Amino acid sequence: MSTQYSILFKQEHAHDDAIWTAAWEKSAKDGSETIVTGSLDDTVKVWKWSEEKLELQWTLEGHQLGVVSVDISHNGAFAASSSLDAHIRLWDLESGKQIKSMDAGPVDAWTVAFSPDSKYIATGSHLGKVNIFGVESGKKEYSLDTRGKFILSIAYSPDGKYLASGAIDGIINIFDIATGKLLHTLEGHAMPIRSLTFSPDSQLLVTASDDGYIKIYDVQHANLAGTLSGHASWVLNVAFSPDHTHFVSSSSDKSVKVWEAGTRACVNTFFDHQDQVWSVKYSSTGSKIVSAGDDRAIHIYDCPM
Amino acid sequence: MASFGWKRKVGERVSKAAVQQFEMDSEKVEDNGQIEGVDWLHVIKRRRELLLEDCTAKSKRLKEEGVLLAENGRHWEAIKKWDEAIQMNAEEATLYEMKSQVLTILQEVFPAVQAAETAVRLRPNWWEAWQTLGRAQLSLGEVELAVRSFQVAVHLNPLERTLWEEDLSWALRLQDQKCTAQRKAAEEDEARRLIDEAPELQRDYEDFESDDVINACTAVAERQKRYENLKRMTVVVNTQGVATEVAVGGDNCHASNSVLVKARVL
Repeated sequence: MSTQYSILFKQEHAHDDAIWTAAWEKSAKDGSETIVTGSLDDTVKVWKWSEEKLELQWTLEGHQLGVVSVDISHNGAFAASSSLDAHIRLWDLESGKQIKSMDAGPVDAWTVAFSPDSKYIATGSHLGKVNIFGVESGKKEYSLDTRGKFILSIAYSPDGKYLASGAIDGIINIFDIATGKLLHTLEGHAMPIRSLTFSPDSQLLVTASDDGYIKIYDVQHANLAGTLSGHASWVLNVAFSPDHTHFVSSSSDKSVKVWEAGTRACVNTFFDHQDQVWSVKYSSTGSKIVSAGDDRAIHIYDCPM
Repeated sequence: MASFGWKRKVGERVSKAAVQQFEMDSEKVEDNGQIEGVDWLHVIKRRRELLLEDCTAKSKRLKEEGVLLAENGRHWEAIKKWDEAIQMNAEEATLYEMKSQVLTILQEVFPAVQAAETAVRLRPNWWEAWQTLGRAQLSLGEVELAVRSFQVAVHLNPLERTLWEEDLSWALRLQDQKCTAQRKAAEEDEARRLIDEAPELQRDYEDFESDDVINACTAVAERQKRYENLKRMTVVVNTQGVATEVAVGGDNCHASNSVLVKARVL
């Protein structure tokens, strides 16, 4: 257990081109720590984090264009990836084989997110619809309509009650999953929202926007609970720590910032990347952070617990 | 002791007339100074401030003049204006980006790519610069690089339909055609090699009337026919490629003319 923030490991040249997305999950089967990354080089790579270093396990080929988003099912068995080639692919992480390929339609696969029960994959579409694909069926099961613009970001609340979407025009929508009803529409940002995340207790929603701000909303009452500034450019990704105390953000200003959820203060800034940082995620215990970006490097940081 | 001075440096190689002229001029300046009573120390300071202010303003004015010229089809003059503007403000990405658009229209493909590369370096999150870079790379025949640039542009702004429907899909189609053409060329080479060193010709035939010889001849003839076929097919592919390229190249020019020279005010 460390007592201060520090960079633990750097995997330089992890991909042949910019890394746009990363995910981290613990395998329920053998307890191993799995990191999945997706890149402009059309590949998805699966890494194992063990003994303080990254080991490449699989290079998953199949996408014809850059990989925009990846997510790992909550038991750590599958990964989903979406690409500019308009396909969502489902991969078995143990065998490194593709299980399914789903044609989402042109320009209709952006951020992918597994539902908390890992039975569905949600993705936003360019007409403002959230399409829900069945993992088992490999088909579109239903969709939620925001009547808005291109949806860049998607998040399920951990309790499975809500689904939030962030659009390119800065509008946030929160749906009740059970009824499929649109609960709230928030006009918090005037610029694209590239990432949003719920707190582990599903009470707070944190949003990241090209306007350089991070906003915190109270989900139940749809109140703005705070606006955080600190990044000098677009905020590209946000992720909550599993213990609810902190969240982390990455930006075009090449930095990764850790924020305290209670005080809303920035407690640490990592300036280790050479270029913009597209993705940042916590490990399942919250003791590590992974980040990746245009410099093709994957960084692992140590967090005090 | 050596001392440093104008005269020593200039030496005697300078014509007397020039020296006299110079001395007269400097006297005049001194006269003026004395007459108007200018405080030279402070004038210099003030002038520097003025100059700083002027650079951005002048660069902006030159940029706008260049836009007007480009819109009227006076491309080279526009580039000249923007080059002057770059001299004043070298960090302005829009100048390089517009220059690249115009250079592409002028078929100055390599400088166009260079200008667009500078634009994306100065403003890596500006999708239009990536689009312009991709278009310049296509003109240069760098299809793979163009596909990459268009993808970066789409990733920054997926809302822009022209990026998906025109730029990226067009570049992908070209990439596909290029692959097909390369495969055909490889097949053609292989067929030609087989004709030149046909295995049937390698052995000695004792009986020239035997079925063996006839079979060998048929085999060689068939190979030749296959090669001819391949050759014809390649030609077809090539002409098609060229034909489409020309056609769409023309389209691009139209698009660029109407879209551009899109003035960048950002």
